[in-house]
Amino acid sequence: MIHFRQPIQGIERPQMEADVVIIGGGPAGMACALRLSQLIDAHNDKLALMASPLPPISKENIYVLEKAREAGQHCLSGALLDPRSMRELLPGFESEAPIDAEVTKESVYFLTEKGHHKLPIVPPPLRDHGNYVISINKFVKWMAAKVEAAGITVFTGFAGSEMLFDEDGVAGVRTDDKGVDKEGNPKANFEPGYDLRSKITILAEGARGSCSKQLIERFQLEDPEHAQTYGVGVKELWEVPAGRVAKGEVIYTLGYPLTGQEYGGAWIYGISDTLLSVGYVVGLDYQDPRIDPHHVFQSFKQHALARSLLEGGKMIRYGAKSLPYGGWLTMPKLAGKGWMILGDSASMLNSQRLKGIHLAIKSGMLAAETAFESMLVGDNSSVALSGYQSRVDGSWIKEELYPVRNFHQGFEHGLLPGLVHSGVQQVLGGRNLGADFKNQAGYLNMRHLDAIGRSTYGREATLGPAKSDGKLTFDKLTDVYHSGTRHDDDQPVHLVIRDTGICNDRCVKEFGNPCQHFCPAAVYEMVDAQIHINFANCVHCKTCDIMDPYQIITWVPPEGGGGPNYDGM
Amino acid sequence: MADPILVVAEQREGKLNRVSLETLAAAQAIGKDAGWPVEVVLPGYQTTALAHELAGYKVEKVYDLEAASLGAYTSDAYVDALKQLISAQQPKLVLFPHTYQVRDFAPRLALALDRTLISDTIGYKYENGKLLFTRQMFQGKFVADVAFAGETPWLATLQIGTYRADQAETGSAPVETVEAAQPPALRITPHEVFQEAKQAVDLSQAEIIVAIGRGIKEQKNVALAEDLAKALGGEVAASRPICDNGWLPLERQIGSSGQTVAPKLYIALGISGAIQHIVGMKGARTIVAINKDVEAPIFEIADYGVVGNLFDVVPALTEEIKKAKA
Repeated sequence: MIHFRQPIQGIERPQMEADVVIIGGGPAGMACALRLSQLIDAHNDKLALMASPLPPISKENIYVLEKAREAGQHCLSGALLDPRSMRELLPGFESEAPIDAEVTKESVYFLTEKGHHKLPIVPPPLRDHGNYVISINKFVKWMAAKVEAAGITVFTGFAGSEMLFDEDGVAGVRTDDKGVDKEGNPKANFEPGYDLRSKITILAEGARGSCSKQLIERFQLEDPEHAQTYGVGVKELWEVPAGRVAKGEVIYTLGYPLTGQEYGGAWIYGISDTLLSVGYVVGLDYQDPRIDPHHVFQSFKQHALARSLLEGGKMIRYGAKSLPYGGWLTMPKLAGKGWMILGDSASMLNSQRLKGIHLAIKSGMLAAETAFESMLVGDNSSVALSGYQSRVDGSWIKEELYPVRNFHQGFEHGLLPGLVHSGVQQVLGGRNLGADFKNQAGYLNMRHLDAIGRSTYGREATLGPAKSDGKLTFDKLTDVYHSGTRHDDDQPVHLVIRDTGICNDRCVKEFGNPCQHFCPAAVYEMVDAQIHINFANCVHCKTCDIMDPYQIITWVPPEGGGGPNYDGM
Repeated sequence: MADPILVVAEQREGKLNRVSLETLAAAQAIGKDAGWPVEVVLPGYQTTALAHELAGYKVEKVYDLEAASLGAYTSDAYVDALKQLISAQQPKLVLFPHTYQVRDFAPRLALALDRTLISDTIGYKYENGKLLFTRQMFQGKFVADVAFAGETPWLATLQIGTYRADQAETGSAPVETVEAAQPPALRITPHEVFQEAKQAVDLSQAEIIVAIGRGIKEQKNVALAEDLAKALGGEVAASRPICDNGWLPLERQIGSSGQTVAPKLYIALGISGAIQHIVGMKGARTIVAINKDVEAPIFEIADYGVVGNLFDVVPALTEEIKKAKA
């Protein structure tokens, strides 16, 4: 049972009827809204042309909920865009979309502590010619403007806080209560959340969405033998002197500071001659509870290869976000009565190519086509909406994801076996020598401190808080400051811990409170042997919800409008 | 006279609330569109002079609704008196300015009359004989046109600033004094009107600030800082963890999520100096930092730094300041 924040009791909430509500205004949600609008426009034009007596379909009751103050402000990615789905959604989009550069050059390095080895050839999945370097923040803002111009309302600053269920499906979604104080009492500016009674609710919340989590639990959509597995990406935007990395150049690294036991790697993208996107993704299935992904990233920047590109530059923004790695095998059931699930929330990411935006957009388009059909016939049943599942199965989403279904799972036991598996899969068209890999949730891999012992196993550069010099490396609080995150201090804590006794008595001995380490925003802190939650630092990455070894933390949306400000990220 | 609009004007301590004239201007506009005459009522006790002031506007009639119980405001007396008048006159529409007082009694009045109230409207439309009011939803991201479903009299309140008081057309109207029957029993006894003391401190005006951070350790030690602030004639402030713990109120938090200050003197006690705090106080003219950690970033921006135990340093400092001031 998910332990949610206690909603305010005994108040009447305004009820609103809706045709379609999309929870989450990222690339998947916005693409869904745009495609739906296109289909409705085409339908209405046809009716008008035929002078049909049928009334046109209205877009008035289609809404997008976005918890950020402004569209795109919570969107974070590298980012590289494979333009395939955008070309289908808006042919010729390149002429008006905010694209920073076309990929001109890519290289992959394997790092050791003191050195680096350039891979003689770039593995085919990492060949990025034809893809674009974009700021996902700017890109989504642009999409949002399109959606609004098309006549669909985007409610920014409103989070989907809770799903509304009926007997066999979803009946809508409740938005967040505004103006609630620390203790959960209404303040003078209290405004209750709206119950949006929607015929179709589309979940596009990104990785580990809170409404999606509720839905997945309620209808047991996840197969425990193919549990979703995640990574957390930590990113900084850097201004550097010209001549370091070319515009459109892409660099990937494997290895240091992670050891062969962990999954992950870095990226460096040349946005312009003087602007770099730099980041590190750490798989959230590591064993050592002392690992700190933020520290991993800081150590990476100190490696000679990264240092030579960054030194003398200036860090201008910071962010962190989780991403789903599991791919095709961990995809939940995609639709049921009154609901569909898309994008990162539905595992639409190719971990071999390190790309998901194009799949998120495609899944949004396919869900829109299904929603449109459902609106036409007035049928939101499980059977009607399962058309979305068939569309995904019949689309290039499956063509792309199915052959790499075992890729990430092959790395469960470390880098070397992973590379071997991935080679075998490459030859056998995605198959293993045996059956498809099974995998359990990543937090289950975490080992007790006792079992780890005192050795650092060569992981010195990844454990505990990072030392900072304020120039190349930064402590978490300084980085968090550069995420621009803000929350009203006088509101209930939005990281709900079922029983803090477990943190203070058990976890401290068994795992050493790894929340202090895996959280990239210094939200969790042990003060006088008590867990303390600095929720105002939260950057909404959901890592705690994913990686907490007891699964007692539930991330729920804070008051809408709160959170990071990923301008230009 | 058919279908009048009744404007409920508001007065307090011998003065007309100017927003009543905004509502009057709105009523005149609706009246023009719909062809309904406008009347005004002023509830109060011995407020005839103010009623005559209202008679200087272009309305059909001004009711000077008088009762001793209307002297000091209570919702009971207002609801009772207005209910009598509205039941007797049966206006089509009753308009109020959306003031604090109206917010208090208008919903009760609507309930007492068993009629519909549309609150906090920002405009109206009169289309094909149908009156619609516009109000905001979703914190103003959305506006909705709403219509009355029930019978008249309809009640509506107007958001302040929707119309301008100087839009109210002047004219001349008769004043009719109406004595309201005494209400059966008032459940509320009004006391003297008072202005709530301004609670929020304005730290941005403080010349001297003594700020505490986690180094203060326990709530009882906050007194150390308070003593120092008192000796200096300054205000106490804090970094986030202190306000988080509720040791000082949120309004005394300095930093990116609190206040930004630039006093002449800023004394930071046990504050490490995370950037979130620094951005709220780096404009201070002189910064004094006391911290036991020599590596604390606060020392990078401090003009004077004491590396030491604040529990030794602060009492001694307070003592010296007291001596110097004596």
